[in-house]
Amino acid sequence: MVKIPLEVYDFANGLRPMAHFLLRSDKPHIFAPIKAIVDTGSPKTLIGLSDMKRLRISKVQLNTIEGPLNPIRIGGGSVKTKILPNAKIKFSDLFEIELDVNFPVSGDEQINQPSLLGVDFLEKTGAGFSFNPSKREAYFEIED
Amino acid sequence: MEQEMELLENYERDSGWFHKNVDKLRKMGFVEKFVAIKSSKPIASNKDINVVIKELENRGENPSFIFIEFVHPEGYTLVL
Repeated sequence: MVKIPLEVYDFANGLRPMAHFLLRSDKPHIFAPIKAIVDTGSPKTLIGLSDMKRLRISKVQLNTIEGPLNPIRIGGGSVKTKILPNAKIKFSDLFEIELDVNFPVSGDEQINQPSLLGVDFLEKTGAGFSFNPSKREAYFEIED
Repeated sequence: MEQEMELLENYERDSGWFHKNVDKLRKMGFVEKFVAIKSSKPIASNKDINVVIKELENRGENPSFIFIEFVHPEGYTLVL
């Protein structure tokens, strides 16, 4: 069993479990650390617009990815995303997976929308997720 | 491999510093601005993230490797 500790920080007036990982892709080229809120209310993993800016990925680059635009509603807004298939997500030397990651390409997402690690991550890895806000403790547990 | 983990650890450390010092950042006038943190210090800020990224590039930094976050006003609740 691999235990991946997460941070619990106060962010925008509430305690949130946060994962930090390296995101990597060959096309478009991406190699960057990401902070994402672990959001069991989100079925999909989504990179926020501000992270997209930081990664300097253009919507033109994303539109070259094959596949349809996917409608997603977040925070009262609606966006269309492109899915980057099999992006590599690495937490440590012990754990790395490939996951389809959504990048917003159009719509009215807020610029300060954080990146989200969704239920698709838990499903793909078979991870259990524990979050105890009062102890400020959170972690994933993943079978070897 | 070691460099990758060092990059992640530095980013995580700056993320921790940001979240533990967000009240201090508010008092320093960073409310409703994007702030770039490196080595536990704010090194660039602006209401427009594009300006922050440009400033980092001008300093010779790779923005992809730098922790950048928005400073919400105190009491502002973000429901995801």
